[in-house]
Amino acid sequence: MLVSWNWLKNYVALDMEVSELENRLAMAGLNHEGTESVGDDLAIDLEVTSNRPDCLGHIGVAREISVLWNQALNLPDPQPSANGPSIHDSLKIRIDAPELCSRYIGRIIRGVKIGPSPQWMQDQLATVFRPLNKDWKPVNNVVDISNYVLMETGQPLHTFDLKELFGNEVVVREANDKEVFQAIDHKLYKLETGMCVVADKESAIALGGVMGGAETEVSDKTTDLLVEAAQFAPLAVRRAARGLNLHSPSSHRFERGVDPERIDWASRRCCELILEIAGGELDQEVIDVGSPAASPEPVVLPLADLKRILGIEIPAQEVERILLALGNESLQSTSETVTVTPPSWRPDLTRSIDLVEEVARIHGYDQIPEDVGVPMVPSHRTNADRIQSQVRQVMTAAGFDEAITASMVPTDWTSVFTGWTSDAPLLSDTPMLKGADTLRTSLVPSLLEARRINQSLSNPVVELFETAKIYLPGSEALPTEQWTLTVSSGKSFFHLKGLIETLIETLKITDSLQVTPCDAALFTKGQGVQLELAGQTLGFMGDVSAETLKQFSLRSATSLLEVNLQILLKAACLVPQFVETSAYPVITRDLNIILQDAVRWAQLSEVVNQAGGQFLESVQYQETYRDPQRDGEGTKRILFSLTLRSHERTLTGEEADQIRDDVVQAITAQLDGQLLA
Amino acid sequence: MQVSMDLTQFLQQLDELTANAVSTFEAAPDQEALEQARIEFLGAKKGQLKATQKLFGAVGKEDRPTAGQRFNETKQAIEAALEQAQQRLQAGSDSGSQEDQQFDPTLPGEALQLGHLHPITQTIEELKDIMGRLGFSVADGPEIEDVWHNFEALNIPAAHPARDPIDNFYLGVAAAGAAKKSNELLLRSQTSTVQIRVMENTEPPIRIISLGRVYRPDTADATHYPMFHQMEGLLVDHQVTMADLKSVLRLFASSYLGEDVHIRFRPSFFPFTEPSVEVDYLWNDQWIEFGGAGMVDPNVLTAVGYDPSQVTGFAFGLGVERLCMRRHGITDIREFYKNDIRFLHQF
Repeated sequence: MLVSWNWLKNYVALDMEVSELENRLAMAGLNHEGTESVGDDLAIDLEVTSNRPDCLGHIGVAREISVLWNQALNLPDPQPSANGPSIHDSLKIRIDAPELCSRYIGRIIRGVKIGPSPQWMQDQLATVFRPLNKDWKPVNNVVDISNYVLMETGQPLHTFDLKELFGNEVVVREANDKEVFQAIDHKLYKLETGMCVVADKESAIALGGVMGGAETEVSDKTTDLLVEAAQFAPLAVRRAARGLNLHSPSSHRFERGVDPERIDWASRRCCELILEIAGGELDQEVIDVGSPAASPEPVVLPLADLKRILGIEIPAQEVERILLALGNESLQSTSETVTVTPPSWRPDLTRSIDLVEEVARIHGYDQIPEDVGVPMVPSHRTNADRIQSQVRQVMTAAGFDEAITASMVPTDWTSVFTGWTSDAPLLSDTPMLKGADTLRTSLVPSLLEARRINQSLSNPVVELFETAKIYLPGSEALPTEQWTLTVSSGKSFFHLKGLIETLIETLKITDSLQVTPCDAALFTKGQGVQLELAGQTLGFMGDVSAETLKQFSLRSATSLLEVNLQILLKAACLVPQFVETSAYPVITRDLNIILQDAVRWAQLSEVVNQAGGQFLESVQYQETYRDPQRDGEGTKRILFSLTLRSHERTLTGEEADQIRDDVVQAITAQLDGQLLA
Repeated sequence: MQVSMDLTQFLQQLDELTANAVSTFEAAPDQEALEQARIEFLGAKKGQLKATQKLFGAVGKEDRPTAGQRFNETKQAIEAALEQAQQRLQAGSDSGSQEDQQFDPTLPGEALQLGHLHPITQTIEELKDIMGRLGFSVADGPEIEDVWHNFEALNIPAAHPARDPIDNFYLGVAAAGAAKKSNELLLRSQTSTVQIRVMENTEPPIRIISLGRVYRPDTADATHYPMFHQMEGLLVDHQVTMADLKSVLRLFASSYLGEDVHIRFRPSFFPFTEPSVEVDYLWNDQWIEFGGAGMVDPNVLTAVGYDPSQVTGFAFGLGVERLCMRRHGITDIREFYKNDIRFLHQF
């Protein structure tokens, strides 16, 4: 809201410096956005919060100033003299849609002389309009006056050329679907139901609260006027202004609500100025249809609430002064309470807490101390938080950079990976970014896209991870939000396998990781697996298939890992317990076993672990190689080591050899493996 | 001498020998002392290495290859230590003349490949850390919310403009090809939703923060993005006042900035707090916007089943991106979500 320094002086003395005014208004709720000179005037830009539409006019701002500086507020008292015929003889006004327009006041002035408005009015209007639109120009005396009263009171007004009205009846009604309306900007708009129009017998002559129509626009030839002052419903105005992208000073104010008791005041003020400046004669009587707003209810403020909420004492006398100066009426006070009736322009004041805020902001928030002793209490870091932080530590130590990507993705990304759900994803009518209207059910596509972006930036190494929620629709009221870790890498399958194994080890999870084949199209055939931990699906990993690489325009090989962090969270051990370490040395034995290709390491290590006995500390895989000429087709040699140790004594070489022999025997018996001599 | 010897014992002796020899050679102050040490360890007849070699015969047959290999390694290590000591003493006697020209210490070191946490995560972790020290525990809540938690309970009634469909991501399920409209679920537009969930399930006192993603339709530009992160704090108890709010925020700002700062309140408006304020802190003689705050609106307390005449509370919220951008001099919010590793590597 731009206010003119000179204009404000009409209502309140401005003895202070401009900077002091700006600062104190900001501290009382009208945030100062900037000030610029316009001619010999100043345009002061104040931010008005949505609960304070009363400050969308100069009078409201002047009232705040009068309260803050304890100055008198001088308001005009418009009493235009009406010497014309009765308005009822020539016009009827009817509200057919009371839910869209609760009140409509019409006055008629005949015989005006259209011309330029006086210089003082043009100057003050220029101060408040020109900073927003440097091409702003005054229109004519009548239009300028209605704008002047708008900026004075915050009550939008409209003036129609009465002779252009078809018939002698004005109806305020809901717009018909697809009704076409030509606005004052001479553009055609297609209306919808839920919007409010002012219509004559033939067609809409104004889009209620938003913009007047071209047909009844006041022109140089206009002599007779219908002056409209109404209360259009915020929702109807918002619908129209947003739906048609037609935002005006008028719609801005109706959306926030106008002062129901100042509608007639504004109408009279407008007529008085027209008579004074443009001449003419006002019809006797007024058409005032609809229902006036209910009178505000008294509000009781318990004085103890001030201390209870604000933490400071404010003298009762000061409380009363503030409340009265703000326009509250019929104050009654006891030793414990103050009761007031809020003014019509402050519908936001209905409860004691609302009055507490009023007193606080005028008294000054700087009176509230910033150094009271707040008691200490313990705070617990959640396990989820600790584990997430461990996960991130492992990821960064392993050289992965953390990405954060958008939660909504294009719909066609959903089919890239459906490992977690095959249900239809959640959609929004409003896309988050261009084309992205689907809540993701996997982080995989987002990380592939991040990889593509880095590729296009010629970044040589792109190793990324993200921890975020994926959204799985289900039967519950709210969808399942699964904390998920996803990693994309240019390194191998086994690099990522090592990563998840390290992560599991770091979180002190004792369950062993199992893999089963996963035939998702995301992965190269045979190189995707499902990860399992204690019989639960932990996640998926594998090398990305050529088709998917192509879909994301990726040129180089990519591996992926996606893990349900909640499984890790449940299995993790945050407080590991000490296990005594052996004081005795280890003995190692290397084995080189010929096996059929189909035998998996998981099977082999299980056999070894069972046969190894109590002294087998660990089994380390070394390498696999193939020599089909010597060993036959479809075979492989697996080289691995046994680490043997006792907690009670040094093992002898004979004992170690015995264990090795037991292991070889078990391998031969169960897996048909042969020790390479 | 024992007749047979365990391999381990033998290896242990070798290790001790190496350690002794290396430390004696390194400690030798001059050529004379070094020569004495040489005789002690490597002397052809009575040197300790020779003595240890004699034990070799006592090692079991099957361990001999290992023992032999380790003996040779030991010998090489002791000889290398001797040579190093000799070079050291020589270099000391004719200083500088023998500097190794091939060794270039100005070559770059071998870089570690460490990953980087996203600057938003780093900021969030710091905020959690500070608030944790002030006694605030982290509470988590869903990102997909119902209208009760996102609006109703937060004193945002049905006709409020904040609920307008074009200002929110309302969600539906794709059913039979078309999105089935459900204005019951939406992506949360603020983390205040978590406050409601915590208060609904907990009796005061409450001291929590909630952090996370929030969503508001906005065209992405340098200062707007339709997804961003918020931190929201809530303290509800008997006798909580705005003075407590101001004091906690001052402790918070001072902790974050590393020095004592002052706090200023400017009146503002939020549906879920009354009174509502904007919070500024004073930094280098300038008031800088920090976030929004206020006393929890009695309607909110009532909505979660509290008695507003018995308990009071304060809440505050701030945008993580804005804080992070100011701290690191980032001028375009979109950088956060591009995930260009050249950006990520800077933090």
